[in-house]
Amino acid sequence: MEYRDYYGTLGVPREATIDEIKKAYRKLARKYHPDVSKEPDAEARMREVNEAYAVLSDAEKRAAYDELGRGYRPGQEFRPPPGWDAGFEFSGPGASGAEAADFSDFFAELFGRMRGAPAGEFRMRGEDHHAKILLELEDAYSGAVRQVTLRAPKMDDQGRVALATRTLNVKIPKGVHAGQIIRLAGQGGPGMGSARAGDLLLEVQIRPHGRYRADGRDLHVTLPVAPWEAALGAVVPVDVPDGQLQVRIPAGAQSGRVLRVRGRGIPGDPPGNLLLEIQVVLPEAATAKAKELYETMARELAFDPRRET
Amino acid sequence: MTDDDILTGFVLEGRCLTFEELCAAGALEQDWLLRHIEEGLFPAPGGTRSEWRFSALGLARARRMRSLERDFEAVPELAALVADMLEELDALRARLRVAGLE
Repeated sequence: MEYRDYYGTLGVPREATIDEIKKAYRKLARKYHPDVSKEPDAEARMREVNEAYAVLSDAEKRAAYDELGRGYRPGQEFRPPPGWDAGFEFSGPGASGAEAADFSDFFAELFGRMRGAPAGEFRMRGEDHHAKILLELEDAYSGAVRQVTLRAPKMDDQGRVALATRTLNVKIPKGVHAGQIIRLAGQGGPGMGSARAGDLLLEVQIRPHGRYRADGRDLHVTLPVAPWEAALGAVVPVDVPDGQLQVRIPAGAQSGRVLRVRGRGIPGDPPGNLLLEIQVVLPEAATAKAKELYETMARELAFDPRRET
Repeated sequence: MTDDDILTGFVLEGRCLTFEELCAAGALEQDWLLRHIEEGLFPAPGGTRSEWRFSALGLARARRMRSLERDFEAVPELAALVADMLEELDALRARLRVAGLE
């Protein structure tokens, strides 16, 4: 486990006051807040910043960190002395389970082992947990089994809580789309006593695709066509995530026109539609023959694209 | 991997989470969310508290407001305003993506 330099993360000296720490945190939080940041690794940086602030803004945690981290360099292998936390009494609630799960192993080792409620006759249903699952568009078409790796606080026999990593294989039903939630019964936090465990709620997100753009169950795709296909009408093959379709282009179709193929979007009840945006693509006038054809059109078609209709 | 290792869940769509489920899923304190609903900062679903149902969008909004309040010590009204603007930004970005402009 690597030692983490929380002072370095926030860019403050070791003797910084709580006000200086707060100020530095605010500045970085604005820079890396994933909702607004343009930085490519904003989410990961925000996690580091939050972790550093969770420790340095809390006098008890900061004291423990200073004491244990003496002489360590960032990235250096870190081993806390056994039973180190015996001498510290953490009075606050610490980071909540959900928050702590975002933090590093280093943090979990130092502060994740907060004492939980004693296991005994006390009964309480376990917490529901929440996570995001990022799926490919193809998964929504055909269904799939996907692995989800979760870090969640887990309680041992002595009632101590530590972060544990677990991997689940989850069946992705055909037809899922962004904004849905997959509920896995009993996969959340453990119940106390004989009470049942909480549920795990997976929020579905679809990874942006290079070619298709999903909007709920509807699927948008740009369809390039030749000028003669657009002008005369044609039947053209269109690749879709689950195969190929033959689509009729009506005569006189212009760029920007959208053809709707009912029911061929993401499957479901009702299934989404496939929306094909026509884009007329001109062949280059690269050969003598091509030039001649364009010149013939210019001469023989009375066509002015800038004429007001 | 055998079939026994594969978990099958229920797919929830639209307004599907109860008040308690939303709080648990978002690691939110119930008092916090209740206060925000009462003060009109969080869109109130109709009916009594036991009839309230929230969507995945509501979950995202609640988590967002909570993190804005915590990360910036924002007053709830300001966090709600920023959440409104971020939702609008999300909707515009989604339209850009659908139009193939992003």
